[in-house]
Amino acid sequence: MIAIVDCNSFYCSCERVFRPSLWNKPVVVLSNNDGCIIARSDEAKAIGVGMAGPYFKAKPLIEQYGVATFSSNYNLYGDMSWRVMETLRVLMGKEHVEVYSVDECFINMEKVPKAQLQEMAEKMRDTVEMWTGIKVSVGVAPTKVLSKVANRLAKKNKAATNCVLLLDSPRKIEQALQRTLVEDVWGVGGKSAEKLRRYNILTAFDLSKRDLNWGRNNLGGVVGERLLRELKGEKSRIMENPLVDKKVIATTRMFGNPVKDIKSIKEAVATYTTRAAEKLRRQHSAAKTISVFVVPKEDNFNPRFRHGPSIGSYTTLPVATSLTNELIKPAMEIVDQIFEQGRTYKKAGVMLSSIVPDNSIQGNLFETDNKKYEQRLLMSMMDNINFSMRDDILKFASSGTSRNWKMQKNFHSPRYTTRWDEICNVL
Amino acid sequence: MYGSAYNGTKSFSQNDIQTANATGFGAATDDYSERGIDLNEQLIMNKPATFFFKMNGDAMVEAGIFPGDVLIVDRSLKAASDKIIVAAVNDDLVVRYFKQNGQLFWLEAANRRYGNIPLEEFTVYRPWGVVTCVIHIIEPSLKAFSAPKKVGK
Repeated sequence: MIAIVDCNSFYCSCERVFRPSLWNKPVVVLSNNDGCIIARSDEAKAIGVGMAGPYFKAKPLIEQYGVATFSSNYNLYGDMSWRVMETLRVLMGKEHVEVYSVDECFINMEKVPKAQLQEMAEKMRDTVEMWTGIKVSVGVAPTKVLSKVANRLAKKNKAATNCVLLLDSPRKIEQALQRTLVEDVWGVGGKSAEKLRRYNILTAFDLSKRDLNWGRNNLGGVVGERLLRELKGEKSRIMENPLVDKKVIATTRMFGNPVKDIKSIKEAVATYTTRAAEKLRRQHSAAKTISVFVVPKEDNFNPRFRHGPSIGSYTTLPVATSLTNELIKPAMEIVDQIFEQGRTYKKAGVMLSSIVPDNSIQGNLFETDNKKYEQRLLMSMMDNINFSMRDDILKFASSGTSRNWKMQKNFHSPRYTTRWDEICNVL
Repeated sequence: MYGSAYNGTKSFSQNDIQTANATGFGAATDDYSERGIDLNEQLIMNKPATFFFKMNGDAMVEAGIFPGDVLIVDRSLKAASDKIIVAAVNDDLVVRYFKQNGQLFWLEAANRRYGNIPLEEFTVYRPWGVVTCVIHIIEPSLKAFSAPKKVGK
């Protein structure tokens, strides 16, 4: 059996841990730049705050009901996520835990005796809440797709399930599938759901009755076949290795305020390049291709393309590199190419691709006087200093100091768990 | 990657231990080198469940907890009578002795000026965690060093 443990309204729950005044109150969290609502507590959902909508649209409702509103505090969420996952690793053994996203992970329950599955699922729920203050829902079923179905139903029916649902018999699985619409099945997108409805397949149960060939022909080949297998209770996605190195590394951000001058754009792009290069070095890789893009602000607002088209270009480097300075230089050249005087820009991004393992990292005896090795050492020192001192204390000059393009964070909560000077007060 | 930067309790590699090999000959002490004392290892029993708080009142002075002290709080420990706990009482997080006498429960300050907080049916109360350590900084320069530089909103 497989369990999926999924945090309930994770970002909102993190904001609540240190604020008892918000327990059982409506809470929302906004995206970068306070643009959209990206997380809602159950209470916020109940008063009708929509998901992923722009903040300004929900503002009247938010003010009317006094909904607590927060800018996203990724330092806090990242630390709380680590705590949740670590609790599960301690409880279940780290080899049985596969982190799937910031707020959900799969647990291999093969070793748990059938009669103890319910008890174990409840123990995971209770221990995570006790240790971290984060409430989770647990779905247990024979496959990952079915465990997702179980988890969704557990979350939707908190009062009846107490956030744990075990699908351990064909009858229970059948009932759960009948109560799940196809578009709510993991891996079925809006488009496929539309298509399925045309075949009169409305629920997950209807879908599970189709045979594998049908799935292969109508649901995108192997992927569709796998999905059907999983729905029928046959495992087909194995526990994947969670730490797969990324093939593409991107850092993109909206500017806090629209930007007109090339200097600000260059500063932003240099900063994003620095961040992307850091991510690259963290996975011991080097990149051969760097792309930079900017998004101009559209004068006539077209809701279909909310960001407007992006303008970008890329450079292929002679040798793959992970050195920030070697990446900033071509990035700056690309900005020179794509920048147009007189336009206003609202977003920029950097993407590193053609990623290969960085062999220069393992400096060896014969390489010690190599310039590359020294530079690599410099990067490593810089990463170490920035990691321990925080706030990018060491910067490349091209990242600038004005930073008037920086993100808006008007409702930021303290970084309770990662900053000594922002820890929570008690009386 | 971040090997030599402090990365949390018990996550270090042997490469982080400095050796004296400038001469090419290992110093005798190399064979005895080990990591220095790490307060995190001594004071944190369960890292994912451990949080830091700052005392902002004088309710616990007689228990040796002064305003400005840092508290280490472990959520994985159970509140039991006479333990000092952090608890949510009516929208506030407070530090008090947890007291139990048969079926009676209350929170008690370590300062005569404060009354007990009875935990009755209608008190909105939830235990948050158990206080395991108090960090009381006395050297002024260290105080300045760890004083709040900027406080989040």
